[in-house]
Amino acid sequence: AMARLIWLCLKCIMLYSTVQAVFEDQVGKFDWRQQYVGKVRFSHFDSHVQSSKKVLVATENNVFASLNTRTGELFWRHVDKTGPEGNIDALLQHGQDAVLVVGNGRLLRSWEINIGGLNWEIVLDSGSFQSACLVGQQDTVKHVAVLKKTIISLHYLSNGHQKWIENLPESETVDYQAVYSGGNGEVYALGVVPHSHIAIVAYSLEDGEIIKQVIQMYTPWLSNIQASCSVIDQGVLTCVDSATVSLYMLDLHLQSQMTQIPLQSLGLEVTPGFQPVLVSTQPNPARPPLSEFLLQLGPEHHLLLQLNNGHIVTLRDFKPLYVQAFLKKDDSVGYRVIVQTEDHTLTFIQQPGRVMWTREEALSDVVTMEMVDLPLTGTQAELEGEFGKKADGLMSMVLKRLSSQLILLQAWIAHLWKLFYDARKPRSQVKNDVTIENLSRDEFNLQKMMVMVTASGKLFGIDSKTGSILWRHYLNNIPSNPAFKLMVQRTTAHFPHPPQCTLLIKDKDTGLATLHVFNPIFGKKSHISPPPLPQPILQSLILPLMDQDYAKVLLLVDDQYKVSAFPSTKNVLQQLQEMASSIFFYLIDSSQGRLSGYRLRTDLSTELIWEVVVPTEVQRIVSVKGKRPNEHVHSQGRVMGDRSVLYKYLNPNLLAVVLESTDLHQERSFVGILLIDGVTGRIIHEAVQRKARGPVHVVHSENWVVYEYWSTKSRRNEFSVIELYEGMELYNSTVFSSLDRPHAPQVLQQSYIFPSSISTMEATLTEKGITSRHLLIGLPSGGILSLPKMFLDPRRPEIVTEQSREENLIPYAPELLIRTEWFINYNQTVSRVRGIYTAPSGLESTCLVVAYGLDIYQTRVYPSKQFDVLKDDYDYMLISSVLLALFFATMISKRLAEVKLLNRAWR
Amino acid sequence: MLHRERIPLLWFFFQAVVVVAWCFTDMETGPGAGVSTQPNGDRFKIEGRAIVPGLKTQDWVSTARILVEGEEYVGFLRTDGSFAVNDVPSGSYVVEIVTPAHRFEPVRVDITSKGKMRARLVNYIKTSEVIRQPYPLQVRANGPHTYFMKRETWGWTDFLMNPMVMMMVLPLLIIVLLPKVVNTNDPEMRKEMEQSMNMLNPNPELPDVSELMTKLFSGSKGSSKAGSSSSKGTRPAVKRR
Repeated sequence: AMARLIWLCLKCIMLYSTVQAVFEDQVGKFDWRQQYVGKVRFSHFDSHVQSSKKVLVATENNVFASLNTRTGELFWRHVDKTGPEGNIDALLQHGQDAVLVVGNGRLLRSWEINIGGLNWEIVLDSGSFQSACLVGQQDTVKHVAVLKKTIISLHYLSNGHQKWIENLPESETVDYQAVYSGGNGEVYALGVVPHSHIAIVAYSLEDGEIIKQVIQMYTPWLSNIQASCSVIDQGVLTCVDSATVSLYMLDLHLQSQMTQIPLQSLGLEVTPGFQPVLVSTQPNPARPPLSEFLLQLGPEHHLLLQLNNGHIVTLRDFKPLYVQAFLKKDDSVGYRVIVQTEDHTLTFIQQPGRVMWTREEALSDVVTMEMVDLPLTGTQAELEGEFGKKADGLMSMVLKRLSSQLILLQAWIAHLWKLFYDARKPRSQVKNDVTIENLSRDEFNLQKMMVMVTASGKLFGIDSKTGSILWRHYLNNIPSNPAFKLMVQRTTAHFPHPPQCTLLIKDKDTGLATLHVFNPIFGKKSHISPPPLPQPILQSLILPLMDQDYAKVLLLVDDQYKVSAFPSTKNVLQQLQEMASSIFFYLIDSSQGRLSGYRLRTDLSTELIWEVVVPTEVQRIVSVKGKRPNEHVHSQGRVMGDRSVLYKYLNPNLLAVVLESTDLHQERSFVGILLIDGVTGRIIHEAVQRKARGPVHVVHSENWVVYEYWSTKSRRNEFSVIELYEGMELYNSTVFSSLDRPHAPQVLQQSYIFPSSISTMEATLTEKGITSRHLLIGLPSGGILSLPKMFLDPRRPEIVTEQSREENLIPYAPELLIRTEWFINYNQTVSRVRGIYTAPSGLESTCLVVAYGLDIYQTRVYPSKQFDVLKDDYDYMLISSVLLALFFATMISKRLAEVKLLNRAWR
Repeated sequence: MLHRERIPLLWFFFQAVVVVAWCFTDMETGPGAGVSTQPNGDRFKIEGRAIVPGLKTQDWVSTARILVEGEEYVGFLRTDGSFAVNDVPSGSYVVEIVTPAHRFEPVRVDITSKGKMRARLVNYIKTSEVIRQPYPLQVRANGPHTYFMKRETWGWTDFLMNPMVMMMVLPLLIIVLLPKVVNTNDPEMRKEMEQSMNMLNPNPELPDVSELMTKLFSGSKGSSKAGSSSSKGTRPAVKRR
């Protein structure tokens, strides 16, 4: 028994050592990370120290971060829970403290902004959050006031403890919307009864007693205080109304009547149909706001006004002022501005109008992506073009070859010249910027163009080697609730036809879709006009068929089950007619629990051929996963210990359908996996995990399905793997047809415990599928774990036998380990990983990986180590010194031998 | 020829059958939707402190987070290293402190419906096993994460300790040194050696590699010293090993 144990240990050590990991000197060599924060909701310049370089941002992605104003990089970033519970409602800053209201007024947090650590966090009383403000007195700010629907509370800024909490009077009728304090020991709650009147309650800072309460003023025009009102000067509530085109002013301290000042009397005009906006600034919460305020009268018309002894003076008229919500004045001399544009670009501008940096925050929300091969260089393309045309005569072919060789020579000399020229310059000046002009495919096709589609509708082309953005394109007609699908219709392989990508943009509410056709290398919109799609689209599929210009055919199925093709040339339609009988597709209706398979008819109508209905009252379809179309499987079977072969069941049409029970009770909930043939509708296998619930993450590849779920019984995450085998003989070894496969496959399954929850999962992919597979698992901690598939092998034996040893099977262990050496991104954590994209490179050993979420991380992985190229640490010095040493050794020994021979001859 | 052309065609045909495309039907994956909508049941607070020995808290707290059961509940560290995760309903949770630089052991925290807290070691296999941990949690980092593998560095010692090299060098040493240690000129000794040699070597006619080797070595080095000593003299010495 001891011997076996030792053997087991040895085996484990051996296995672990074969698994790849990152070496320390490889840091940043093949990988890069970009960190984002998301669309900014609140921002605040840290101005308590003159030299401060910080700007605080709170975003719609529930991220609170501090940015460096010089470079735009992050000082620190805190990523809260997604969803409404982590939603940031307000951001206030005073000195070194930033106060955040989180989760619809559930939590009040104070951060120390230099360190990025928490000062305190308290739970507020329940109630819908309305507004918050800092409260100061005698030039010191010690409190923060939080206004909710029915209550107002005051907290100490130092520890968050509640000083007092008061109910708001008549809160069932009055809609309290804003809280204000001007530093005079009073806290004002401003409320409105829509289309009726304003209510103002003044509380004493000391004990929360109501000092004044005024419910008056007939204000039928006012419904939202925060949108149309603002407090300026010594507590003058100023509102602007677009219907009467007037300013209304009310002194909060005097509580006199509201005065109406028509804008016309000031000589001002509002752009018709525009809701005017008032912006005031209160630099110090312990003092009243400035008497100067901004009034926006049109989309591009701003006014700087001043309230001077009850009179409004126009200070300055800005005709187009592009700066809007994030304007903040530093002092009277200079200015610095953060501008966020519609496409979620954050730009920092400093006097005199200099753009210091921009951040593409749209990239915090990547929805889908593709990697496209880069084009050949002009010279390479010239050579390639030679093989395209065969009609030319012998003589012209020879001439062409000579000319292209000449061009190559020229390019080589130019390259040498450049090298020489660069070598003379100091190293710092040599720039190797990647631009669209000098983009070209490298030797092993390791550098590619990453085409990323973001939720905001902005498309990016990113160089995978450096991470620099090469092109960006903003689509401005994106629906509010969009779904995207990106397809590569033509790769760069068909010179001189440009590569072509098609983005299907679908409105999830209406189902209506549009197509955007573009060149993935340059980002330019293609001159090909996509067909209009008047009907809602149910399904889209890209066929391996190509038109005469080598563009793959995209089929779109509308809600009438009619099929349209893009491109729809005569050639394509003819091909479709010929192939129609072998084109099948499936549709899912998760609300009805229906999975149905269709076949294409020659007239491009469709025919229902199978249907599987899942009872929706018991379970629901969560996801359906097919195999990746560009996946290659190198070996048809596995060699067993006794030298026989176990053949894999490689059905390219297999679908893995994930089902979850509607009953979420921990005793009754379950997770199911259905393996269905997408052509025939035949259920190949069904597996149910009792006392389990989602979220289920699935990877479906080759002959296996790996899925992860939450076991409610044991309160842990579990992995399960299903592998399908044909058996010891192949039924038809040349082709696979779903229609002719009489034997059901053998199914093997095994489950394991995984000591962490996971965010997403994907399998590595290589050119020919020879390299062993790894699973790339995104963890909530930010690590991306590369777990060898051989740990998830249902043939892992419980009892080790000679045969299993022969097969190199790892003995079964219930728990899978997370080793930090397996993290492909070492300490470069990726927050909220939403997707992992894998693409093969030109090297069989190498797989390109992009993980995206809040951050983007790109790297390469070598699941079976770099077996086809010399390692990057290859010791050229050693090999050359050994060679040289051997050379000299032979020389010397030869000489010695000669001397010896001579001596012998003399003797 | 015809057959060969047919296979790619067939392949193409069946490729066309592969119509497994990503489905555009929208499905919701809302895992804990049922949990989060619960109106203020009793909510509790998980408290504790994280310590990284030998490091000031302000150097690492900004990169750390407290994850309760994955990202179900998220907490942040205070500037002094303590933490509290608010708004957690009763249940059993695995609490992890995650930082990119330091490794902390996860702890399982059980909260009863009355709010009683208990912390214990995480054991995913025997889930009911209780090995108590202090509560409020006291979690000490047990070292930095090891992300990197050591490069195989090349050194002379590695080279010399290589079994193959050892197997080559040791015999060489024996070949060179033994003839010098053992006095082959002593006739008694030689006789003895020859005797033992004959016993060992069943076929004396067969040429031997070692013989050639010794010839070479004794020729170059022992030419002056051992003068006319024949190759026969050194041969047994070698074979004795």
